Amino acid sequence: MGEVIVVTSGKGGVGKTTTTANIGAGLASMGCKVALVDADIGLRNLDVVLGLENRIVYDIVDVTSGNCRLRQALIKDKRLEGLHLLPAAQTKDKTAVSPEQMRELCGELKKEFDYIIIDCPAGIEQGFRNAVAGAEKAVVVTTPEVSAVRDADRIIGLLEAAGLYEPKLVINRIRLKMVRQGDMMSIEDIIDILAIDLLGVIPEDELIVITTNRGEAVVLDQNSRSGQAYRNITRRILGEEVPMVNLEEEDGFLKKLRKIIGLK
Amino acid sequence: MTCSKRDVRGEVISGFAEGIPAGQEDLVDDNTILVQRTLRSGQSIHYDGNVVILGDLNPGSEVVAKGNVIIMGVLRGVVHAGACGDENAVVMAFRLQPTQLRIANHITRPPDDEPEDTGQPEMARIKDGVVTIEAFQTGGERQGKAN
Repeated sequence: MGEVIVVTSGKGGVGKTTTTANIGAGLASMGCKVALVDADIGLRNLDVVLGLENRIVYDIVDVTSGNCRLRQALIKDKRLEGLHLLPAAQTKDKTAVSPEQMRELCGELKKEFDYIIIDCPAGIEQGFRNAVAGAEKAVVVTTPEVSAVRDADRIIGLLEAAGLYEPKLVINRIRLKMVRQGDMMSIEDIIDILAIDLLGVIPEDELIVITTNRGEAVVLDQNSRSGQAYRNITRRILGEEVPMVNLEEEDGFLKKLRKIIGLK
Repeated sequence: MTCSKRDVRGEVISGFAEGIPAGQEDLVDDNTILVQRTLRSGQSIHYDGNVVILGDLNPGSEVVAKGNVIIMGVLRGVVHAGACGDENAVVMAFRLQPTQLRIANHITRPPDDEPEDTGQPEMARIKDGVVTIEAFQTGGERQGKAN
């Protein structure tokens, strides 16, 4: 039986879809069978981020309304063997699916996949309720901004109300230089308010924008720091104990020297 | 602000002194609720008596109490003590950093500059018609109520 994980945040634009795509790609690259479910009906993005937009024939609403079988709607990733996507509908809205239907759908997917990762829409309305209905675990994504942390706090409360206890936290787009100067909330500041376990910290990285626009996953890039951060998150989801990487930026000569002599 | 009975709806937790025997309604001070968790953004507690919270009050959360409010944690949200006009009500927290603090019909907010962390429990109460915050002193006379 597989495990259903919902990736949520409350606030939009903090990196739910990017995180979903990269965790999915990371798990698949380690040999897991993964299904990504885009629950953002009407504003679908996950297919674009994965570069699978042009392969969509059926979507989640077709499945729940019985227009097609689940197997027909699942799209295989073009690079990774075990990665599959169940795309959202673009022409419908959030009311096209009910929480009961989502629960049923997740039950169906669990039989076939090791991990089912649900990309939750922003907000706390029906889309959120649909996305969390079938989930067993939750990952809350936030950025080091007061508004994002506030929304994450609200979401953690709502997750608890929905029976999803102990969600894990991903802090995205952190800039250590700004944290050091006292211009950005630190990891400690965020944990202090949210009081949940940290799953990982992703540094701000231009490469994320580049790979996302190309429909690739940064987690597969062996040389990037953000890719490394996502790989660590993936291994933590698989149950490995991975220490938090030191995000201190090392630039210039020392970094090059270390690369030459083969040290990370 | 009404202090009549409210519906238990959504995340609002309500508990009212229904079990108090006739003739003892003025003993509302004995009516205290213990909340053993942190209140997150959007969660609120309305209570017809004192409220003690074993946890933090995060930004965006709210506690409205007819009596005193004691937070065994960090107060970052909104608290209204003495919501029915009791000017003797007090608010106490291990760390007092509220978004807004109300006692009876007084509404205050912290100064705009960076909050200084005193690192010790503090208590807010009305003194000479003004909401004042002072370090919490254990022992001695019962503060606030003694006046």
